[in-house]
Amino acid sequence: MIKTPDLIASLAANATPVRRLRPPVMRAACWLLLAAAVLTLLAINQGVRPDFAQRLREPAFVICMAASLLTGVLAAIAAFLVSLPDRSRLWLLLPMPALVLWLSNIGYQCLVQWIDIGPNGVSLGEAARCFATLVLTSLPLSLAMLVMLRYAAPLRPTAVTLMGSLAVAAITATALSLFHTVDATVMVLMWNLGTAVVFVSLAGVFGRTMFRWVAPRTFDARD
Amino acid sequence: MTQKPRSHPPSLKLVGTDGSDAAQAGPIIRDVDWSILMARAQDGDGAAYHRLLQDIVPYLRSLASRRHRDPNDVEDAVQDILLTIHSIRQTYDPGRPFGPWLVTIANRRFIDRLRRQGRVRARETPLTAEHETFSEARANLQESTDRHELGGAIDNLPPRQRQAIRLLKLKEMSLKEAAVASGMSITSLKVNTHRALKSLRKMLVDRSEP
Repeated sequence: MIKTPDLIASLAANATPVRRLRPPVMRAACWLLLAAAVLTLLAINQGVRPDFAQRLREPAFVICMAASLLTGVLAAIAAFLVSLPDRSRLWLLLPMPALVLWLSNIGYQCLVQWIDIGPNGVSLGEAARCFATLVLTSLPLSLAMLVMLRYAAPLRPTAVTLMGSLAVAAITATALSLFHTVDATVMVLMWNLGTAVVFVSLAGVFGRTMFRWVAPRTFDARD
Repeated sequence: MTQKPRSHPPSLKLVGTDGSDAAQAGPIIRDVDWSILMARAQDGDGAAYHRLLQDIVPYLRSLASRRHRDPNDVEDAVQDILLTIHSIRQTYDPGRPFGPWLVTIANRRFIDRLRRQGRVRARETPLTAEHETFSEARANLQESTDRHELGGAIDNLPPRQRQAIRLLKLKEMSLKEAAVASGMSITSLKVNTHRALKSLRKMLVDRSEP
């Protein structure tokens, strides 16, 4: 084992200048800008759903979309705040009100509309396109988030990945309801909830491994 | 959010090198000192960084000794924290107090280490010195009881046979050496050894089949 004074000497010898991180809210804003860019590109490519203007008049749809968007924004901010060592963990609660609103709205719609439509509303062709949107939105956002938060790996990997994936999931869900006419709201609900669950659970399983890929230096010395 | 009011280090002054003023001024000034040193370290000042790390090591050691008992573990944990600080030193914001930043990192590393130790303890059995002695023939318990029994059986032999078997078999002398040592002739040694082995075999077999 290397002696502590020797370790200090070698670390001090390696003290290259580092660029300080920008304030977390600003970094969250950068990430959200990227998210906006991805959504815009997708909108140009795929076009907004045809009945978008009409749906905007329905309060349930508007509330649901606003809530999911708000969840995404707040979760992104929370992820960047919690990733820093000297910020309180209570920031994890930041997206909770929006999340509760979003989920309760989904639950309510599910209850009301399932009765209207029944299980027949599920169509597979639309499902595949939905899936494409899902991957196209979430993949760049996840990777960007991962790289931007790589220094959090030795600190609070689980909390940070959960928040980050919640942000990605919420943004993705917003994208899905923007672009896809899913007549069966059941589909929307499934996609909304399913996306969130898939991302959060994937993050739970692979979060640490992914962080290890991106930030291997931190762990090499000890493990 | 428990933060002290923001203490911007307006100008990066070099703080006293003998530590006398730090000793008088208490933890707040020390925290400011550390903030300044860390800010300089972020700008690539190796000397300031060296001093900062040296300064925080006793503090980290005291934190670590609350969580770990083994001094080796304490030192490992301290080094772990130092490496972590080095790899994420860009996350420190000089406008904020240094203490909470350091303590959070330290606590995360302690918790990770304790978890890892818990996992290792649950799944692995350490190979201790006790286990290693089995590979040495002398320490083999089974053989040593045999040896004890054999010694008892040899003691029961008549004196000349006992002497012959001791010299030739236990001390592994040659016939000539044994003849010189005991004063018996080579033939008599051979005969006595033969008889001794025969009666030993009889004794030990009798004992093992009660």
